[in-house]
Amino acid sequence: MIELRADQMVFTFPEVHAEAALHLDFQRTLRIPDDGKSYPLPPGLGRFPLTHVDDHAAAVPASWVERGGVMMPMFQAEAMWISFQSPSVDDRASYPFLVKIATGKINAVTGEEWRDGANRDPQDYLVVPTQPWLDGYCVEKGKIRQFVAMPLGAGFSAEEQLTGKGEWGGVQVEVYPMKRDVFERRFPKRPPSDRRERLSEMMFGALSAPCAMDAEEDECAASMGLAPGGSMEQEIYDDPFDLADWDLRQRSRCFVHLTNSMVWRAITGSEPPTTPPTAAEYESAGLPWFDWYSEAKAVAGSEKLAGLKSVKEMGKEKGTPALPENQSVTPKNVVTLKGTMVKGQVREW
Amino acid sequence: MDAFGSYLRERREARRASDRSYSLRQLATRVGIEPSYLSRIERGAESPPSEATIRRLAAELEEDEDVLLALAGKVSSDLQDAIRRRPALFAQLIRQLAELPDHAVLRLVREVRDGDW
Repeated sequence: MIELRADQMVFTFPEVHAEAALHLDFQRTLRIPDDGKSYPLPPGLGRFPLTHVDDHAAAVPASWVERGGVMMPMFQAEAMWISFQSPSVDDRASYPFLVKIATGKINAVTGEEWRDGANRDPQDYLVVPTQPWLDGYCVEKGKIRQFVAMPLGAGFSAEEQLTGKGEWGGVQVEVYPMKRDVFERRFPKRPPSDRRERLSEMMFGALSAPCAMDAEEDECAASMGLAPGGSMEQEIYDDPFDLADWDLRQRSRCFVHLTNSMVWRAITGSEPPTTPPTAAEYESAGLPWFDWYSEAKAVAGSEKLAGLKSVKEMGKEKGTPALPENQSVTPKNVVTLKGTMVKGQVREW
Repeated sequence: MDAFGSYLRERREARRASDRSYSLRQLATRVGIEPSYLSRIERGAESPPSEATIRRLAAELEEDEDVLLALAGKVSSDLQDAIRRRPALFAQLIRQLAELPDHAVLRLVREVRDGDW
């Protein structure tokens, strides 16, 4: 099942393991220059707001209600990255998840059209916690092209470039957990400390009050699709497990609709986040960029995705400059984050 | 020793076994309190700290903040606000759900609906 908690999608699989949870959110960030150079990872500037499509059924296109899921606002030419976290289970390991990401139903790792299920050859998914984030399309080994929002129908999106149609837009997410018996075998329990039991004992002593539960136009103009922007150094890691280790019967998936930020205000009545700083503004303030060091093996890039035109190239071809600004920068302050994320290691600024 | 303090110490020590940044001093610094204050809280010599500090401790220890708040005898302010806005409705709801087993309550959590695509 999927819940929304503080603008984060929380995928849980209580029938597999009570504590198996994948937290996924979309991070605001600056658009890196689309200038042929390869950049380090830009910062996270906070989560994009997320809301249930069903809560605004009367104000969104009928097709959105049919597809279900959630929606979030993006400005034209705004960039984003996707953050993945899986909390530790019983202090032994993060529960592993297989995660498929597509934009406009085009797989962000392989460039293939969407199909349910997981494929290893070539690998069409990410593994969490090995992969802490995804910033764009996997165009070659160790290199991606940043996700940049463009209006659906304008011809920039990966979907439109590969299929000739702007039918879907948005982001599609599908998640599968590791099989429970495989998790127990690969990450054996540490004796003894039965934390849940201990917690429940303590709760009875501490709680005198009952425990509170969770309270709880024109279609093309509203919809955004993601298109490839500037190049960035990021590896998509090879699955360190076997395909048979994943519980492919336990699927959870979601359609994330991207709404033009101006339309978001009309639909939801709430303000979208402000536009992020430009890369040049960010760099001139001396703020950090990031690099991720891992010894895990990376997958090769997708030829299909490598053949896509970037937003800048496509704008040039159409004779309409598509980026409001595109000033090159030379990042000086690059922070390297390592291995498994530990407390204090953040890519947010 | 009170339940909140002893649980806090237990979780911190469990993490410190594999990560030295969970020493009393370093954790206290990260959440913005004096190490001696954190020590007194853990020993039960001091009442649990403010809601904001408990939230920061929960984030650092990757614990559920509602659970830590409950151990401290508190209910999150956003939940209190929700109840105050619609007191009759939520009082009735909570009383009716209070005795249900966890699996039955879980079904009431709002899910993101997947559609046809």
